[in-house]
Amino acid sequence: MAVRTIEVRERVMARNDVIAAVVRATLEAAGITAFNLVSSPGSGKTSLLERTLDVLGEELGIAVVTGDVQTQNDADRLARRTDRLVQAVVTGGACHLDASQVEASLTRIDLERTRLLFVENVGNLVCPAGWDLGEAAKIVVFSVTEGEDKPLKYPKMFRMARYAVINKIDLLPYLDFDVDLAMANARSVNPHLRFFLTSARTGAGLDEWFTFLRAAVRAPVGV
Amino acid sequence: MHELSLALEVCRLAEDALTLGGGGRVLRVAVEVGDETGVEVENFRFCLDALLTEPPFCGAGSELIRGPGDDFRLACVEVDDGRSND
Repeated sequence: MAVRTIEVRERVMARNDVIAAVVRATLEAAGITAFNLVSSPGSGKTSLLERTLDVLGEELGIAVVTGDVQTQNDADRLARRTDRLVQAVVTGGACHLDASQVEASLTRIDLERTRLLFVENVGNLVCPAGWDLGEAAKIVVFSVTEGEDKPLKYPKMFRMARYAVINKIDLLPYLDFDVDLAMANARSVNPHLRFFLTSARTGAGLDEWFTFLRAAVRAPVGV
Repeated sequence: MHELSLALEVCRLAEDALTLGGGGRVLRVAVEVGDETGVEVENFRFCLDALLTEPPFCGAGSELIRGPGDDFRLACVEVDDGRSND
């Protein structure tokens, strides 16, 4: 028997990254800023987007791609808030979105009418960290019911994100959650994170979030 | 769960390498997995070994090469090209 070794040294994520580069170029050519919203399940991504669509949906020409393992409940919720396009991706078991799914979704979005794109990823703080979707930046959402050590438990996600939304701050009076400790933990894995403290339920903190989004559309956030 | 997606991509890359490399019976597929890739190694090994039972791999072995950093690459594919050693 003649044993032969075929040297490869090919990055496993190479194909996804090529497609992500195509998505990024498409979005940049269309003048669209894209954010990839990542979080554990139940952090309030959809509620945050509902509020955002209510206030900025038309002003910023927002389109949304939602990813869920099953159901298109999130897309249905969002579609009730806007006439803008909400595109659902049901992954059928996969724990993350990949760049090819976003690329396919872009063909169904009116890019000329869109200036801001949110990709609401599958709720999961592990897997989506490794997939580049062609976004300008990842925004990690975590809620005050989740514990201050979330950034330490899931460091890669917080390292990959440029922005962090600490949501459900209306619940702080009823919890022992230490906001300063949570932010310190997050900064220990990513010193460059910018934070937003929000309650999608009451609207607290959303003005700063909206101001950030307006600015991101005016002057797109570089990768 | 993303370990299965990653194992599928490794098999796709290995199949491409096999085609470009002239074919043969696959004996071993070696993958470099960095400690900071976020890959759960035993889960990934389980998925990869399951996929390697199918053609064109048909029972090839897997080798996971651990290292620092976030490198995650198909390192090499070892094949028996059917020729005699003589």
